[in-house]
Amino acid sequence: MRSRVRPISFVGLLFAVTSLAAGRAVASPAEKAQMDKPQMADLLKKVDERQNSQGDYRSLIYMVQKEKDKVDVAYEAEVLRRSKDQKFIILFLQPKTSQGQGYLRVDQNLWFYDPSVGRWERRTERERIGGTNSRRSDFDESRLAQEYDPAWVGEGKLGKYDSVTLKLTGKEGVDLAFPVVKIWVDKDSDNVLKREEYALSGRLMRTSYYPKWSKVYSDSKGADVWFPQEIHFFDEIEKQNSTHIVIKSVDLKTLPENIFTKAWLEEKSR
Amino acid sequence: MAAFFNFFAVRSVDLLVAFRNLLQHTRRTLFLGGAIVAVTAMMVLLRGLSAGTQETMLRSATTLMTGHVNVGGFYKVTEGTAAPVVTDYLKVLEIVKRSVPELDYAAARGRGWAKIVSDTGSIQCGVSGIDIRSEPGFKEAVEILSGNLQDLAKPDTILIFESQAKKLDVKVGDALTISAPTTRGVNNTADVRVVAIARDLGLLSGFNVYVPSDTLRALYRLSPDATGALMLHLKPKFIDQAPAIVARLRKDLEAAGYRIMDADPHPFFMKFDKVSREEWTGQKLDVTSWQDEMAFFNWTLQAVSGLSVIVLTILLAIIVIGIMNTMWIAIRERTREIGTLRAIGMQREQVVRQFLLEALMLGAFATLVGAAIGAAAGLGVNAAQIPVPVAGQLFLLSTHFFVSIHPVALVTAAFTITLVTGLAALYPSLRAAQLEPVTAMQHFG
Repeated sequence: MRSRVRPISFVGLLFAVTSLAAGRAVASPAEKAQMDKPQMADLLKKVDERQNSQGDYRSLIYMVQKEKDKVDVAYEAEVLRRSKDQKFIILFLQPKTSQGQGYLRVDQNLWFYDPSVGRWERRTERERIGGTNSRRSDFDESRLAQEYDPAWVGEGKLGKYDSVTLKLTGKEGVDLAFPVVKIWVDKDSDNVLKREEYALSGRLMRTSYYPKWSKVYSDSKGADVWFPQEIHFFDEIEKQNSTHIVIKSVDLKTLPENIFTKAWLEEKSR
Repeated sequence: MAAFFNFFAVRSVDLLVAFRNLLQHTRRTLFLGGAIVAVTAMMVLLRGLSAGTQETMLRSATTLMTGHVNVGGFYKVTEGTAAPVVTDYLKVLEIVKRSVPELDYAAARGRGWAKIVSDTGSIQCGVSGIDIRSEPGFKEAVEILSGNLQDLAKPDTILIFESQAKKLDVKVGDALTISAPTTRGVNNTADVRVVAIARDLGLLSGFNVYVPSDTLRALYRLSPDATGALMLHLKPKFIDQAPAIVARLRKDLEAAGYRIMDADPHPFFMKFDKVSREEWTGQKLDVTSWQDEMAFFNWTLQAVSGLSVIVLTILLAIIVIGIMNTMWIAIRERTREIGTLRAIGMQREQVVRQFLLEALMLGAFATLVGAAIGAAAGLGVNAAQIPVPVAGQLFLLSTHFFVSIHPVALVTAAFTITLVTGLAALYPSLRAAQLEPVTAMQHFG
């Protein structure tokens, strides 16, 4: 039985997203003070560094998957990650049908565990998480500077925000879910406001909005770590489908050493 | 020679007497004969349905998703990423041609799994890359409702089935988007135009669409020398030998230096998880028969066959009980007659023969009529194109009921039920023969 509970109130969220989306019309990036390559690379590094904790990370996420002719499905999950060795876990807590399922990333491999069959399956890192329109990379540390080469698109207004728009192309040899991405970066905060993700064919596949950002102080980093409180994914192939995510309870304390193991996830799944 | 004619004359008389006895007891004969006719017709229909299901499955499967023998396999870029791809397939084809003289023709088919999206809906299904010019069997098996199958040779086109067209709400000329990750997991799309809509071919047609091989290669970013599988279509008389050909081909490919996956009687799409868990990279080939690729539907055949056996057993049991009961009644009614015949010199074995002949004659006539009715009903069902309810399509793998009528099956049904009729009459006949003439002649009732 899939949960019909909607843990997120979307009234405020939709207002924020709408204002960003509406901004698209007036925000056709005008070509003003164009950044050069090093400046764009620096901007990407800044975007990454602001979000990276350089330690451990734990948060709760609430996701709602909306699909045409289907009942909305709400998920609650716990995300755990460790910067040092790029380990990562998503453990589903709700709904009951998904309870105990989890993804574990170790040694560049993404594993999926389903307690109902008690089996681990190796998955591609770029697959959809829990059948939603989100990917592992959406919850992991930002690695834009490592994974993409930037190109200048322009700058302009996105809603009420002054933003810079860059076109990012995947670096040679790096496997990415979306080989081309356009990002709108807030000029004041260096937070990403919007992403457009394209297929190899050049077709727009997904548009994401990041209307709310928040920060937590990290002892390991000795500085604030920024994280999006909300992410909204809109499927551009199947226009009626969307995924809405709220991130809560971000905790940057050091996690126990044994967490990022299959045994830990299996234990938690019982 | 005289002895032969004498023997023949006696038997002719026996047959004539048996026939007259059947005519004399019209009501009993019609009642019992009617039951045998019904059972025979039912047996012909049930066996026809079972055979029809198997034939439909073979025809659908070998048109849509498998050859009689397949050389497929997986290519793993990394240990965790498996793609159903055969690289450098022309080399593999050379070995196949040498190893399989029973080959009629081979088709290289691309294999994929993708989301097909229209303006109003979407479906997830298998995508096959096909070179329509090199697959003569496909043209014969697929009935085009609108559009032109030959247009599938043009780039960025697609053939879909009527139920898919209904779900996607598209017609010939409309555009669709195919969305799938490449073998490296990078998202990609292909925009295609519907050029043909085919009549549904059972449940399987809901799981497949067809695009030109090059469109599929572009979607998955495959090189021109890569394909999904080589589907080998055997000459008709060798189709039954598919498992032996699979075993031979496995050996020959291994001898040629290819790594071969362990034999696993499942379709390729059920092997992804297993292959992804295994720690190897590069190419491994897999050789399967059509039965392997259709293993997930074998239960359908078993269910239909099992159901037929249960129903027929019940019907035959009813017939046996009916015949024995009727024979007992006949013996009771004809006890004085038996006594008189015994008194004027009829031997015990002649009495047995008389009753058995009656039963066998009734069985033979009734089963012939039953087989004819069953065959006519089966042909009528086929001609009427009676649609199978959607839920039933899962079992019968067809959108319409199809009854396969073969002369051998008709003869077998008639012979089996006649034999059962004779056996059922044996015990009552033996009891009748044991009656003492004096006792029998004094019998009233």
